[in-house]
Amino acid sequence: MSLLEVRGLSKNFRGLAAISDVSFAIAEGSITSIIGPNGAGKSTMFNLITGYLAPTAGEVRFRDRRITGLATNRIAELGVARAFQIARPFRDLSVFDNVRIGALFGKAGRRDVEAATRRAMELASIAHLATQPASALTVGQLRHLEVARAIATRADLLLADEPCAGLNPTETAAMIDVLRQVRKNGVTVVLVEHDMPSVMEVSDRLLVLDAGRLIAEGPPPVVANDPKVIAAYLGTPDAA
Amino acid sequence: MKHDPRLIAAAVVLAVVLLAAGPAFLPPFYVRVGQLMLYSAGLGLAWAILGGFAGYASFGHSAFIGIGAFAAGLVESRYSGLPPVLLLPLGLAAGGLACAILSAAIAYPILRLRGTFFAIAMLGVSHVGAEVTNNIDFFQGALGLNFPPLAPADMDPAAFYYELFLAGALSILLISWLIRRSRFGAGLLSIREDEDTARMLGVPTERYKRVAFVVSAVLTGLMGVIYAHSLGYITTESVYRDDTNLSLIVYSLLGGMGTLFGPVIGAGLLVFITQVILGRLLDFHLFATGLLLVLLILMAPGGVNGLLNRKRRPA
Repeated sequence: MSLLEVRGLSKNFRGLAAISDVSFAIAEGSITSIIGPNGAGKSTMFNLITGYLAPTAGEVRFRDRRITGLATNRIAELGVARAFQIARPFRDLSVFDNVRIGALFGKAGRRDVEAATRRAMELASIAHLATQPASALTVGQLRHLEVARAIATRADLLLADEPCAGLNPTETAAMIDVLRQVRKNGVTVVLVEHDMPSVMEVSDRLLVLDAGRLIAEGPPPVVANDPKVIAAYLGTPDAA
Repeated sequence: MKHDPRLIAAAVVLAVVLLAAGPAFLPPFYVRVGQLMLYSAGLGLAWAILGGFAGYASFGHSAFIGIGAFAAGLVESRYSGLPPVLLLPLGLAAGGLACAILSAAIAYPILRLRGTFFAIAMLGVSHVGAEVTNNIDFFQGALGLNFPPLAPADMDPAAFYYELFLAGALSILLISWLIRRSRFGAGLLSIREDEDTARMLGVPTERYKRVAFVVSAVLTGLMGVIYAHSLGYITTESVYRDDTNLSLIVYSLLGGMGTLFGPVIGAGLLVFITQVILGRLLDFHLFATGLLLVLLILMAPGGVNGLLNRKRRPA
């Protein structure tokens, strides 16, 4: 059974169709990347899954339960966590307290809050920063904090929005390593990412969005050679 | 910083005993200043449960002082035959209940507003409350309400109310401390920091905000009930006060926004400045408070606490 299922999902912003009739399923324990040119609807897709936006049509199911229409915090309690592209730490709180909020709420409830906090920090390799205020972290460290906070909720599904954007190659490699660790701990990962080498390396499957439509899906090597995908990124010869 | 818990407990007990013994050795003027400090500290703490912890700065909390005071006064005047020992609990129950019901009723719409919009909407609430109290005869806001004297015959009323304010402020401090340590308190902090992210992490932000609002309103109302008794006679103008609305924000700004003791330090300092240093310039108070507010925001947004932290950790 798939962990997450998106069925006929559409989202219109006034006249603009940001997402048009998209359906896909995410298998438990996988790493899936959603790729596509800027404005293809990747972030909108995340906003729809987490309940931040309401879809115009269609539904999202998590563990075979309809989550469309639930409040964002209810969806988080069911086990869906999100790491933002532009890190949104609780700036005045320490790294530990940031992650602890995730552990106190989310799916975690109040069991072993301290242990869950530490485990999440170790998993995201920021345990050494525990006492630092979040405002003192670098961009790369903040991305790790985003992931740690999301993992601390004991989510079953992590939605990571461009976790590698703006990172240097060393930082990117570290982040990819963290995502692998996350998956190894039983969390299913859905990634929106532009860094193609990382995507090809880490993903089990790719979903390609273009102008709000799902134009291809499958294992990375297959998708990368799909003429439709190449056309979406580079344009078709006769159009040029 | 870890300290021996026994040492902390001893220090707390000593501080409480010293504070409680205040009226025994303070000159009468300073007993009244102490009253005002404790009353203000209690109000500042109650305000900060919403304004400091959750970041919803209200500019109209005097509404709850007024609602609490008038509800208590109206109920107590109906049962004026009861002995004073029963009247105060009755008044507190009436004032607290009135604040609970009213704050719960407006919580949903008003907490959809954020930042300045919430602050101004609360100012509106306090002004509407004042107008209603003043213009509907039932509430006797224009005529005024008498409160029966409560102090035992052998006790100075000033000392009596000093102790009541102390009990109120300490109770609210205890409640704040418990909230601050709890899951609820952590949730409120995350709301202050970033409400959307908090919700994304599973914090039930709507419910938490409403609970914090009602708790803050009820505690403010209870302090208002004690205050009304200490005055003995109130009109609308003596409880629905815009200078209180302003001062409550300044207490937290001055002492350190969102910190446990910030409102206490701020209330103590501001009352000392306005009552003792500027004691002879009564008309000057509101001006001084306003000036202080501007200076604080420009020069020390973290308040006294922030200044001390900056000294300790140069970064």
